[in-house]
Amino acid sequence: MPWDLIIFYMLAAVCIAAALGVVVATNPVHSAIFLVLCFFNVAGVFVMMGAEFLAVIQVIVYTGAILVLLLFVLMLVNPDDLPEFHQGKPVQRVVGGLLGLILLLEIAIAILNREVVGVTGTATPEAIAAVGGNTQAIGRLLFSDYLLAFEVVSLVLTVGVIGAIVLALPERLGEKVVQRKGTISLGHARGVDMEALGEGTPEGEAPILSGRGGFAKASGGRKLVMTNDPDEYTGA
Amino acid sequence: MDEPIWLKFIVAFVIMNVLLVGMAYMTYFERKVLAAFQDRMGPTRTGPKGLLQPLADGAKLLGKEDLIPGSADKWVFFFAPLVVFVTAITSVAVIPFGTSFDVAGQTINMTIADLNIGALFVLAISSVGVYGIILGAWASSNRYSLLGGLRAAAQVVSYEIILGLSLVGIFILTGSLNLGDIVAEQSRTLSIGPFEISNWFILSQPLAFVLFLIAAVAETNRAPFDLPEAETELVSGFHTEYSAFRFSFYFLGEYIAMIVMSLFASTLFLGGTDGPGSDSHVLLGILWLLLKTILFLFFYVWLRATLPRFRYDQLMGIAWKVLLPLVLLNIVVTAAVRLAVNS
Amino acid sequence: MGELGVEHFLSLSAALFIIGMMGVLIRRNILIIFMCVELMLTAANISLIAFGWQMHSLDGQVFVLFTIAIAAAEAAVGLAIILALSRRVHTVDVAEIHELRD
Repeated sequence: MPWDLIIFYMLAAVCIAAALGVVVATNPVHSAIFLVLCFFNVAGVFVMMGAEFLAVIQVIVYTGAILVLLLFVLMLVNPDDLPEFHQGKPVQRVVGGLLGLILLLEIAIAILNREVVGVTGTATPEAIAAVGGNTQAIGRLLFSDYLLAFEVVSLVLTVGVIGAIVLALPERLGEKVVQRKGTISLGHARGVDMEALGEGTPEGEAPILSGRGGFAKASGGRKLVMTNDPDEYTGA
Repeated sequence: MDEPIWLKFIVAFVIMNVLLVGMAYMTYFERKVLAAFQDRMGPTRTGPKGLLQPLADGAKLLGKEDLIPGSADKWVFFFAPLVVFVTAITSVAVIPFGTSFDVAGQTINMTIADLNIGALFVLAISSVGVYGIILGAWASSNRYSLLGGLRAAAQVVSYEIILGLSLVGIFILTGSLNLGDIVAEQSRTLSIGPFEISNWFILSQPLAFVLFLIAAVAETNRAPFDLPEAETELVSGFHTEYSAFRFSFYFLGEYIAMIVMSLFASTLFLGGTDGPGSDSHVLLGILWLLLKTILFLFFYVWLRATLPRFRYDQLMGIAWKVLLPLVLLNIVVTAAVRLAVNS
Repeated sequence: MGELGVEHFLSLSAALFIIGMMGVLIRRNILIIFMCVELMLTAANISLIAFGWQMHSLDGQVFVLFTIAIAAAEAAVGLAIILALSRRVHTVDVAEIHELRD
């Protein structure tokens, strides 16, 4: 068996196993890790097709940036909000799997019975090597025939950056995201002098704050007040 | 392939072993140099002049108890430090340690993998190293580790952009991503007035050199950009829960990343194996590369000894507001100059 | 079997696409649905490059370059939307997010 076929089967097997892992894993971080594995092997498949520049771009952009962003969002989203994986009837999963298998067989039949239609291009491996390599050939094509698309894509990326920043900003600029629910303080209005403490802690009792009555005793008879703002309580 | 695979394995094995020994003695080098900066001695007791200190450190770390937090995800906890370590070592595969030499009729290539996209390969592999930080932080199931890990990851991703873009100027001047081609381009001699000097890219791309150095220091989470793992903040950051040998994977992975970045910087900006006498003797070329790498490693330790730490928002602000415009300016100016010279 | 041909790559692309599609249909966590959409996009990329490889044309690779760039922009915006959404409704289960307004 020729080496490239063996390597392709290894890469493809890991790809498909990792993709199944993405769909089946219960923990979403495990799914993300399987996806990274899948994309790494897809980069290997790209190299086998002679697209080495795209393989490196796939690793840098897809695995190194997009999936890192995905992992960030996964970790910042509260894990208590995750839905149960095994909700719904098991028959749905079985029927879903069967349907997927049938679709795959249909596509496989279509692939194996296809005929070649279309014009063969000029970028044979010898022509690519003559220009200096895969990167140089793509560069020539990108900046001559596809220049408009290149500029439009850079505009799209700029708009994407601006959109992501705007969406992730807090509701109103300047307002803090964290809302204070209230403060607990000893009943001591601002700007008012307090008299000296009375008895203080009775002997034999623990002075630490524990239980409801303990507060009042430990604070020497002052009441506890809950307000939204420290300035609300004026001693009334 | 003109070279049999077993020969490539032998070359790879040799290079990897040299790298691992270099990493171990990098810890010794750093402690001695830091000590010299701080007017003290450093390790002197373990072996002559303290040279056996790395072995003692390794033995100590191996003997420590391996604690795993109860609610940690065991598989991810196990794999995360390995990611950092393995990706750092893999990047060395494309560095050219010379061209090739003949031994007993067999041509030995001094680059393990002479890829056409060599420079991007190093960037790609180091961008996968971020996963070691994020997954290690998450697997520790510790809120502070997670925060530290996310901050470290955001820092690494931001400075990766600067790292990659600072090299675009070199790619414009060379016309190739192959590291062997870049070294060859730097071996050409320029005659400026009465002087004949090699065309090292530090001379034609000084701004890119400075930006690359800053980004390389930030990429490896070294001082002054080491807030996410500083011992006094966030209780040692994302590797708080790691002990014994797992911790040493992170620790040594950082040193290997330093060595790889220094090798990379020497190859890209200081001509790599280029130096007097390197055309004829391969070993002299390797010696020159090692000397340049040690220079950059000294620079790393010098920064650690001298500068205070950046605050996290200052760190990110520098990357996005200062370095990014500068690096884009560098690309535009390089392209304009190249266009003007060619036409 | 025999030589490495386009059919191998196309079959891999089809398998990944079907698995991604099944994932979108079965899973309820919006972030995993997003991952499966990325899987489908990658499957399409593989078949684009495979055809380009067979027909000796680099147009396939340039297409994929654009696809990856657009996928990056879409990921950034989509994840920002998910983050903003999850802050409001405090869940990422697609079955719960069915009201247009609070």
